[in-house]
Amino acid sequence: MMSAGVFKTATRGSGARATETGSARSGSAGSDSAGTASAGTASARTDLQAPAPAATSRTLRAGTWLSLPVRSRSLTVAVSLVAAVLVVAVLTVTLGTLGIAPADVVASVLGQGIGTDRIVWGTIRGPRLVVAVAAGAALGIAGTLFQTVTRNPLGSPDVIGLSAGAAAGAAAFGVLWTGIVPQSVGALIGACAAMTLVFLATGRGFASPSRMLLAGIGVSAMSLAFVEYVIVRVGREEAITLAAYLSGTLASRSWEHAATIWVSLVVLMPFALAISRRLQLVEMGDEQADALGAASGRTRLFAVLVSIGLATAAVNVVGPIGFIALAAPQIARRLVRAPGPNVVTSALTGALLLCLADLLTQQSPLPVQLPVGVLTALIGGVYLGYLLLGQWKKGSL
Amino acid sequence: MTLTPRLAVNSASAAPGTTPVRRSLPRRAAGLLIIGVLLAFTVLLSLAVGNKYIPLGEVWTAVVNPGDGYAQTVVDSRIPRTVLGILVGASLAVAGALMQGLTRNPLGDPGLFGVNAGAAAAVVTATAFFGIGTAGSSVWVALPGAFVAVAVVYLIGGGGGRSSSIRLVLAGVVVTAVLAAWVSAISLSLPGVFDSYRYWAVGSLAGRNPDVILDVLPFILVGLVIALSLAGPLNALALGDDLARTLGVKVGRTKLLGALATTLLCAAATAAVGPIGFVGLAVPHVVRSVTGSDHRWLLPYCLLAGPILLLGADVLGRVIVSPAELMVGIITAFVGAPILLVAVRRMKVPE
Repeated sequence: MMSAGVFKTATRGSGARATETGSARSGSAGSDSAGTASAGTASARTDLQAPAPAATSRTLRAGTWLSLPVRSRSLTVAVSLVAAVLVVAVLTVTLGTLGIAPADVVASVLGQGIGTDRIVWGTIRGPRLVVAVAAGAALGIAGTLFQTVTRNPLGSPDVIGLSAGAAAGAAAFGVLWTGIVPQSVGALIGACAAMTLVFLATGRGFASPSRMLLAGIGVSAMSLAFVEYVIVRVGREEAITLAAYLSGTLASRSWEHAATIWVSLVVLMPFALAISRRLQLVEMGDEQADALGAASGRTRLFAVLVSIGLATAAVNVVGPIGFIALAAPQIARRLVRAPGPNVVTSALTGALLLCLADLLTQQSPLPVQLPVGVLTALIGGVYLGYLLLGQWKKGSL
Repeated sequence: MTLTPRLAVNSASAAPGTTPVRRSLPRRAAGLLIIGVLLAFTVLLSLAVGNKYIPLGEVWTAVVNPGDGYAQTVVDSRIPRTVLGILVGASLAVAGALMQGLTRNPLGDPGLFGVNAGAAAAVVTATAFFGIGTAGSSVWVALPGAFVAVAVVYLIGGGGGRSSSIRLVLAGVVVTAVLAAWVSAISLSLPGVFDSYRYWAVGSLAGRNPDVILDVLPFILVGLVIALSLAGPLNALALGDDLARTLGVKVGRTKLLGALATTLLCAAATAAVGPIGFVGLAVPHVVRSVTGSDHRWLLPYCLLAGPILLLGADVLGRVIVSPAELMVGIITAFVGAPILLVAVRRMKVPE
């Protein structure tokens, strides 16, 4: 009886106090005094365990077709992240020798800039900033979907070979065999081929994290070998562009790039949101999820497809930028303190991380502006090591 | 130390439920002979095939009875890369077999353990900042780089005492990722370095200075001698550290020497032709299916089969995009990575 009371408290959140009172009362109604005492302890623990009232969820409804639970903590986090992205965006536009004066930023963004401001926003920093926001968001969502499906923080598109596959596809159809299919379709073909290989090599779908990682290494190696081959085949100028693309770059992005990635994001994000509730159930285990009507197999497949679409869209525009898809969902999860694929917060965290990394590479004192992917790969490698050590301590690998 | 071959064969290669095949001495010796003949044939192919094809008969004449005709010139120009191919192929394959034996790990590959990345990062750093370009000095740079990378991988992967094969490979991935980012940061900010690095980075036998051979030869020979001398202890080690110790093997010394030989071989190979992946993984896997896991046969087989794979890949690279050339590292990745995928699929892992 007592333990049931604690269990309910832990899970039900807002209803905690009422339930616990009931439990305590029934405990004291019991014959022995020990029951009362233990019920008292339980009630004390409840005060610690029950989430603060602020964490309760409200439901966002629109007619009969939309019913999304919104936790107020998530809302606060999301608003703060948007603010942070805005701050980084303003810094990106204003810092440096070419920076637009803070007072002129709004005018420039609205297309009324004068002189150099027009060029700085219109061709240099505007597109790359807009691309960075969307690409970071796409990677964040792709990462959170994959990590939820694989139930492992290591299962992210860049670790298991998806990004490398997409890059190989983009290099193949965008540079080498031009004119067969558009580069973006090529990237998608590459990503799907890579995921098929990983899927086949792991034997049981995406269930085993260590197999998945090792298969990812093999698939990445093949993809990157192919891209190296393309680099050697094309001329030196193209080779350098391609090599920069290969590590992920935001330099010289155009408004077409921005349009491509934003359209992909706007089209695919609703699917991610729609699937996220079911994914949350799948996280509890396949049997539980199936019992609750979440159709774990189909849900997982759907989530993987959406994730591939988003990651490919990002890779196609900015190249295989590492670390964002790996880290954004984990940071978001810690900020929100909620399970499940935190789609919106992961997207915002991804956008913030990528904009921040790009700001750092733009303002770094190095004589040459490095591709942003080099920075994220350096940080990402270290972070990956940290993740692995954590998993080894837990003994889950 | 006198361990019967049968014991060693049964210990690792036999899958549960199948009766282990007894591999007789004459059969294995005959296999070694066949592989030797195959290698000789591959060497001749490597001398004959390329932009200008020289018939095998003329190649033979040019080798045994040097003249000064056109065919002679062409064949001479292909000798350095063929010799390099033999040396590097043998080094990588033996290093891979050694690593798989030492760590009792089917996934042992110098490339996966970060050795190549360490050597590559050291060479690129030295080239960029200290202007060291010739291969002779680059071996001396590649060696410490490879040693440090291996040490870090073992430190991360073996942290807490219990190191598993997967952990070591994943630690290798982490180290490789960071080093690769470092290498691309340097090569992208210094286009001059990048231009020469482009070919070396993928791993190519073409256009190497013949002096490279003499520079790396001593390292490779020492590495190979140490490796072959470890065959007996490695067989015992396959039974587990404790059992090996009771059989009179000095486990610590064997592992240390093995790591030394592996690193020497890989660093020399990488310094000479760039980081070539998957040869060390693929060759021992294929060879083991013929010889079983007795290292006294496995290592010599690898010694001969490694060059066959590498030279074969090199010849293939000269043919498939003719008149251009495909670097050997690309071909080995394409041939070797699927073997990794198959190994992963067969692997038993903790879920």
